[in-house]
Amino acid sequence: MFHKILIANRGEIALRVIRACREMGIRTVIAHSTADADSLPARLADESVCIGPPEARLSYLNIPSIISAAAITDSEAIHPGYGLLAENPAFAEICRACGITFIGPSPEAIRLMGDKAQAREMAKSAGAPVVPGSEGPLAGVDEAQALADSMGYPVIVKAAAGGGGRGMRIVRERAALARAYTTCQAEAGAAFGSSELYLEKFVEEARHVEVQVLGDKNGMRLHLGERDCSVQRRHQKLLEEGPAPALLPETRAGLHKAALAVANAVNYVSAGTVEFLVDRDGQFSFIEMNTRIQVEHPVTEMITGIDIVREQIRIASGEALGYKQSAVTFTGHAIECRVNAEDPEHFVPSPGRVTAWIAPGGPGVRVDSHMMTGYVVPPYYDSLIAKIIVHGRDRNEAIARMQRALHETVVEGIKTTIPYHLKLLADPAFVAGGSTLARLEQNL
Amino acid sequence: MARRGSARGPAAFSIDQVVELAVRHNLAELEVEAAGTRIRIVREHAPAASGSRVDAAPASVAAVQQPAAESVESTAHLVTVEAPMVGTFYRAPKPDAPPFVAEGDVVKEGQVICIVEAMKLMNEIESKVAGRIAKVVVENGQPVEFGQPLFLVDPLR
Repeated sequence: MFHKILIANRGEIALRVIRACREMGIRTVIAHSTADADSLPARLADESVCIGPPEARLSYLNIPSIISAAAITDSEAIHPGYGLLAENPAFAEICRACGITFIGPSPEAIRLMGDKAQAREMAKSAGAPVVPGSEGPLAGVDEAQALADSMGYPVIVKAAAGGGGRGMRIVRERAALARAYTTCQAEAGAAFGSSELYLEKFVEEARHVEVQVLGDKNGMRLHLGERDCSVQRRHQKLLEEGPAPALLPETRAGLHKAALAVANAVNYVSAGTVEFLVDRDGQFSFIEMNTRIQVEHPVTEMITGIDIVREQIRIASGEALGYKQSAVTFTGHAIECRVNAEDPEHFVPSPGRVTAWIAPGGPGVRVDSHMMTGYVVPPYYDSLIAKIIVHGRDRNEAIARMQRALHETVVEGIKTTIPYHLKLLADPAFVAGGSTLARLEQNL
Repeated sequence: MARRGSARGPAAFSIDQVVELAVRHNLAELEVEAAGTRIRIVREHAPAASGSRVDAAPASVAAVQQPAAESVESTAHLVTVEAPMVGTFYRAPKPDAPPFVAEGDVVKEGQVICIVEAMKLMNEIESKVAGRIAKVVVENGQPVEFGQPLFLVDPLR
């Protein structure tokens, strides 16, 4: 096992890794920017190293500085968290070349799954159903048009290197395709450094269901069940729950099997998530695989009792998972609400000073947050400031518990998404379960 | 490099480290007790303490960027040369070579005064002003973080 791990991230996920390490008896080093020098992770880590100015490009994305910080602190491994460098295959390769263990999958797996068009082909050959679409990246707008005409509208244009809901456009009619293509291309080039696009049939009224998988270095792979992430706003997830409600048993079993087939096809090591769209009839298709810890991993931790970050660290150190699929059991229902520093009406960021913060508590409530009273939400990074997770014996209990938890939460000084969540939790369609992506996006 | 004594057991602090901490976090007063030694720093030129440490967050960032304006007393006019990157601080171009500069030396603006090694790359660090080296803050071979003071230079006027 490692004796010291460097955390190349910030905010709640940095804190999450520190917590896992502390319980495992592993020392932690937080690599932080000047903007985060007084952050909770910087206070709670055993050591902290300032790696650069506030701009992520010069600090959290600055590979030489992060490697240098690991070197001067004798860190044996780096946990990249999510976002930032977590799915950067070059970073994973540099770690390997420098003799530092990257806590995550191989650079090869990251690279393969990072190319959405290639990942799609890989999933298809592994036997996972995929949405009809282009084979590989599109050569140009003419190819896109011909393909869309043959499949029928609506279609969705996506950046091959995309993720996080950026660089995608839904096109409902032929006339709108050319413009969507150009916009997407520009967005993809700016956001991901590659303007390659691909195109898929757009599945109406679909739900977004993802399966958590774990794989160790001995080739042992298992799943930890699924999460429903259909509550999204502009392709950004806001509420996740598990198990997915209103799912036919055969659909559920099929999802788990397909996820493992995809993970096996790339010899996947570490924690990963295979994402699917599920339509009204329970038909599902592969969208992509995320090769990192996900924001919503606590949902799965609550229903399985498995500490996924701990498993990532154990696996990276070479330990075997040590249990079989049959040992993974699911208890009750969990819901996570993402509290973002955002205006709940317009979803624009609301950085500033938190003048008061009272976290919810009581039975079945977990809060993952780096917030403190007096904390200044910096304008440089993403707006997630807290995750409130609840566990109940069933979905109704979990919903009631989340409503109770949100009502007792106090965040003053900035605007948050809490009012949105309260509205959503009282929405009859959400309470009924099985809401679709489109409905929630339109009605709330 | 912030290391927490509470987590790693008692560790000795040097007076310089404590001064540096007080300046970095814009504290009027700082007392540290470790390994049987207690060091207390009171800064006469420090701004009045304003609330908790959290409240001082933006101010402490400013302090990292321009600690020269308010270093220890009577050194207020000194210019601080900070580490532009995280790495290992070297005073000489090679292990057996004489240091680039020593305290009391006069340096030109742009003169190489040390090296910060990051990922096997030797980054030459230049003095940003012409002046006399008043203090070498970091010892040879020590790790340094971004923004950490390396030298105090008494500028020529």
